[in-house]
Amino acid sequence: MKRNNILTEYGALLALVILFVINVITRKGNFLQIENLRNLVSQNAAVGIIAVGMTLVIISGGIDLSVGSMTAMCGAAGILLVNKFASSGMSPNMAILLAVLGGILIGAFSGFVNGFIIAYGRVAAFVVTLGGLAGFRSIALVLGNGGEIRSTVPALQDFGFGGIPIPFVKNAGGGSVDFYWSALIFVLVAIGAGFVLNRTRFGRYVIAVGANQRVAEYSAINVQTVKLAVYTILGGLVGLASVLVGARMNSVGTGSVGLYYELDAIAAVVIGGTSLRGGKGRIWGTVVGVLLLTLIANMLTAFSIDTNWQGLVRGIVILAAVLIQRGRKDND
Amino acid sequence: MAFPSVRALTGVSISFEEGEVHAVVGENGAGKSTLMKILGGVQKPTAGTVLVDGKPVALGGVRDAQKHGIVMIHQELNLVDELTISENVFLGHELTKAGLLDRAKMSELTEGFLQQVHATYSPQQKVGELSIAGKQLVEIAKALALNASVLIMDEPTAVLSEPEAESLFELIGKLRAKGTTVLYISHRLPEVCAICDRVTVLRDGAFVATVQAKAATPSELAGLMVGRPLSEFFPPKSSSPEAAPILELDNIGGATLTVRPGEILGLAGLVGAGRTELAEAVIGIRPIGEGSIKIDGKPCRIRSPKEAMKHGIAYVSEDRKHLGLHLSLNVIENVTMANLRSYGEVVINQKSERESAETWKSDLDIRAGSLTEETVYLSGGNQQKISIAKWLEIKPRIIILDEPTRGVDVGAKREMYNLIQKLASEGMACIVISSELPEIIGLCHRTVVMRDGKIVGELKGEELNEEAVMHLAAGVAAA
Repeated sequence: MKRNNILTEYGALLALVILFVINVITRKGNFLQIENLRNLVSQNAAVGIIAVGMTLVIISGGIDLSVGSMTAMCGAAGILLVNKFASSGMSPNMAILLAVLGGILIGAFSGFVNGFIIAYGRVAAFVVTLGGLAGFRSIALVLGNGGEIRSTVPALQDFGFGGIPIPFVKNAGGGSVDFYWSALIFVLVAIGAGFVLNRTRFGRYVIAVGANQRVAEYSAINVQTVKLAVYTILGGLVGLASVLVGARMNSVGTGSVGLYYELDAIAAVVIGGTSLRGGKGRIWGTVVGVLLLTLIANMLTAFSIDTNWQGLVRGIVILAAVLIQRGRKDND
Repeated sequence: MAFPSVRALTGVSISFEEGEVHAVVGENGAGKSTLMKILGGVQKPTAGTVLVDGKPVALGGVRDAQKHGIVMIHQELNLVDELTISENVFLGHELTKAGLLDRAKMSELTEGFLQQVHATYSPQQKVGELSIAGKQLVEIAKALALNASVLIMDEPTAVLSEPEAESLFELIGKLRAKGTTVLYISHRLPEVCAICDRVTVLRDGAFVATVQAKAATPSELAGLMVGRPLSEFFPPKSSSPEAAPILELDNIGGATLTVRPGEILGLAGLVGAGRTELAEAVIGIRPIGEGSIKIDGKPCRIRSPKEAMKHGIAYVSEDRKHLGLHLSLNVIENVTMANLRSYGEVVINQKSERESAETWKSDLDIRAGSLTEETVYLSGGNQQKISIAKWLEIKPRIIILDEPTRGVDVGAKREMYNLIQKLASEGMACIVISSELPEIIGLCHRTVVMRDGKIVGELKGEELNEEAVMHLAAGVAAA
């Protein structure tokens, strides 16, 4: 019952630091360049944003398997919105802003539907969102006629690769290095969610519902509202992430975008030390989980390891993380 | 075993003889449970040894302990509701024939074990269908199947009605005659004196004394447990308040009653009489059916604990572990859980949250290593105090305390009685649901007795005595 065992508490962070150092050494300092760090945070920003929302859902005692399909659906809708707004004579930037908001709204509504059935229909989250996994993908395919939806607004991709310049940092050519919008949004979302979870009444209720739903009920907490809210928030974040993905690629392949995002997001949450049984978790852990998975993928590529092996490595990392952290709560 | 911040047990040496019923008593946190867990193989001691038949043994797990004939029956029974009695009895050591489960044989043996514990169930019955008393018998049958020579029973009578407890005592007597050693943990001192051979008293994790049970009186034991003589156990009653009723229940599932501000109303009855159900209807967890509720003389509808709270009604559940506290959350988080809104509509003021918890900790003498300790690590009495603090936080006008002293030791019980009296004297209406008759008699101004969901009688003043309550509760006419 050592509750402050460093390995179980900070195992994932430790692994991240170690891999990072290995990277720095083996790549002879190149890796430490700000651009590489930036890329590490940006590369999976979309999955990261979703994983942060997933953390709240899992802490509340739920799960959402539909986020990958939802990404495709919201992304498809987002691109269609950009095209439509721009073709109706709106300025490209305004069109993008409205598309982002539209994506968020559609995502939030989808999450609301998930949450409503789970909270008020009292159907298991696993089943409801498994339905969503099939259903949202289907809607995406219908929107894209089974194929790719391309953006007709060049400004969208500029937004995808745009950002704010990192102060005092110049690239090899002397130009400024931008911190991508997607990465910035990921960081802000994580900070915001951390604040909500640890400092607000709503966050405390999320933990209370996940820790013991009946005690929460007896404590005059509106359990159903809390559940509805976490799925809606996650949906909104999925909508946000989906437009960022679409902007980056300037298109959405309705059959391929968001594939396995639910697994990556859940994996990041679990690696970060959040219990799948609910009631306990941490946002920073999820961020570490996302970065760790990204870093491992990068290293495998850098060491020219066949991409076909990457799934296995990922699986082993997830299992190892769970095994190391298992002692944390169970051994009363 | 060192707990996170409190050393639970130090330098205790006890011997248990064959065929002896040996009670271990002590206040909550005295170390009884820890001692039993070590013997049952659930926890490893940080120092010291366990000897069985004079030989040191290593009890690395429940199975190790069982191999040495030591079987523990937990307070929260460890049975699988979805399995049959026979499957439960042989769980983990199933009999097989040619690699397949030998159901017929297990069923036959189970039948025999059930007979030995005087249970008339079929081995094929699902455990989930049994009453708590029935489940306990299955646990004992399971111990018989494991050939237990030492049986550890943790608070076995806490959830039993009086007749059920009586038949358990009879069974313990039979086991003793067969040479089984029974380690008996209980807070109920009269029964300890009545059924045990010897009693060991622990206090603050240390050994105090082992005495012959027959020669000891409950009050002597209580004195040893708290380290000071207990003179008057119940604080003197104040006079019955006369004010207009604050809460009136009319035909809630057939029950009609009123309670006044400043009054301590007892709600007596056998287990299953519908007292908890009545309380849950009042706070909106269950439908009230045809009935109606009035507060301050005005009719009101309560459909959820939230609405009950708005009307100033608090309910402290009997089931701390499943309904009362978030065991994985810390002391502060539990204390403020029902009243979180007062610490911030959106953002919680963590400083004032901590200050409140500090105040409750000192007011109610909650013993926790730190306020950020998870409540799962605290003793029953301290958990109960936190449960109560959680509801006093909302400044209720009516508080319903369901079995407030269950699983709570003598010292904490007394504190609980004093607290209830103090709350009443400040004008709070207190409804105390209790199966312990001395508590009902010693504490309450007035008592209503329930049977089958209905109020079958009301007693106060001189007429309030154990016999009268039992007659009403059991439905037999007074002699």
